[in-house]
Formats: sequence, C-alpha cells, structure tokens
Amino acid sequence: MISLQSWLGLSAVVFTLGLCGVMMRRNVILVLMSIEIMLNAANLALVAFNKHLVPVAGAVPPDGQVLVFFTIAVAAAEVAVALVIALLLFRRLDTVNVDDVANLRW
Amino acid sequence: MEALLFWSAATAMVVFTLLTVSSRNPVYSAIWMILSFAATAGLFVLLDAYLIAAVEVLVYAGAIMVLFLFVIMLINLRAEEHEGLRLNPLAILAAATFLALVTRALQDRGPAVGSEPNALEGSPGVVADALFSRYAVAFETVSVLLLAANLGTVVLSRRSHDR
Repeated sequence: MISLQSWLGLSAVVFTLGLCGVMMRRNVILVLMSIEIMLNAANLALVAFNKHLVPVAGAVPPDGQVLVFFTIAVAAAEVAVALVIALLLFRRLDTVNVDDVANLRW
Repeated sequence: MEALLFWSAATAMVVFTLLTVSSRNPVYSAIWMILSFAATAGLFVLLDAYLIAAVEVLVYAGAIMVLFLFVIMLINLRAEEHEGLRLNPLAILAAATFLALVTRALQDRGPAVGSEPNALEGSPGVVADALFSRYAVAFETVSVLLLAANLGTVVLSRRSHDR
C-alpha cells in the first residue's frame, strides 16, 4: 500500500522541477514545457487525493478525475495559443530567448 | 509488488522530468518529456484511474508533444543558441523554499481525505456519468473554451498581409 504522502511528495518534487525550469530556462518553448510539467504534477496530486477521498454512499465520487479531465483540456488550449505566440515572437523579433523580449520594460 | 511498481515509475518520472528541464537541445527535452508523461500514465494506472491514464497518453504524450515538436522544428534554433539550465542562486533558493513549504503542508489533511486508499472507480463509464450529469455545464464551457482557443490560434497565425 502506498501512502497519500508518497504520492503528494512525488507530485511536489516534480512540480518543483517544473518551477526550476520556468525560472532557470531562457528558451520560451522550454518555459512552456516546464509549465506543462507543473500542470501534470498537479494532475497527479488530484488523482491521488481522489483515491483517498472518503466514500459517499459506498462509492468514491470521481470528482478528482473529472477535474483532471478539465485540466488536460485547458492545458491543451493554453499550449496551442502559447505556441502560436512563441512562433509570432520568433517571426517578429527572430529570437525565442525571453530575456531579449523586453519591449514593454522601461 | 505495488510498491516496487510505484517507486520505479516515480523514479522514472523524476529522472525524465529532470532531463527534460536540463537538456540543452529542445528536441531532446521534448522526447524526454514524452517518456515522463508515459511514466505518469503508468502511475495513473497504479491509482486505478484508467481513463485518465489513456487520456494522458493520447492528449499529452500524443497531441500536445507533437505540437511542441512541430514548433521546435519550425523555429529550428542554431546549435550555438542552445543553452541548459542557468543556475541562479535566487531561483534555487526560491525552489527550495517552495519545496520545503509544500512538504510541511503535506503533513495536514482535510476532513474529506482519509488516510487509507479506497477502491477508486476509474473506468470510463463512472467518470462519464459524473462528467455528463453533475459537471455537464463545465463540460460544455470547456468545449467553448477549446473552440475559442482554436479560433484564436487561427487569427494569431494569419500573416499580416491577409488582414
């Protein structure tokens, strides 16, 4: 039997790796990938919580799984739009380095 | 047996994620990330969430990563533009603090969460029952969101002389 803590610990470690990716990579595509890693870690925590939910009327409600379903749909929409923005960035400024995109900074 | 499967899949997930974050070549990152999603799907199977495991492989490892690979190929960085992790001490401190805080928060559980794992029903029928009854409005909203994202993508990617 695997305890809830193990699942959540794994989720926390993977989320932190994604956080490191967002903070330490400069390539905008890698930053997006790291955001996906963080979403994925959150999904793992949601399903683990669902497994440990107290049963209602003899059955565990699948709320966590439904939530993960929505998260995946939103992640797909987000990635599609964000990747087009990355592509436009490359077309206009010829760079994917987030440090070079400072037009709004003063 | 279950513990062995859990720890091997968990190790695989962490190692592949680490490789994703630290690879210098974005194409390698994408391929490591597909493997990390495969490990995650295995973990979902261990949690009895079979539908979610299938969706993870189809949508994440399939659709989303193909999208990433397409854009990486389109942008086609020169080799001298590849760079790995930039180890910034402040960022390391922030990540370590975050991990410490979350680890502390893991000690407490809400009242709806028991300590023993239950028999989770992860078959498509059970999840679909909830999805199309209690969560029907949210489901329709997500479909509108996906349509909006689709349209947004098309509008954004049109070349400016078409406008």
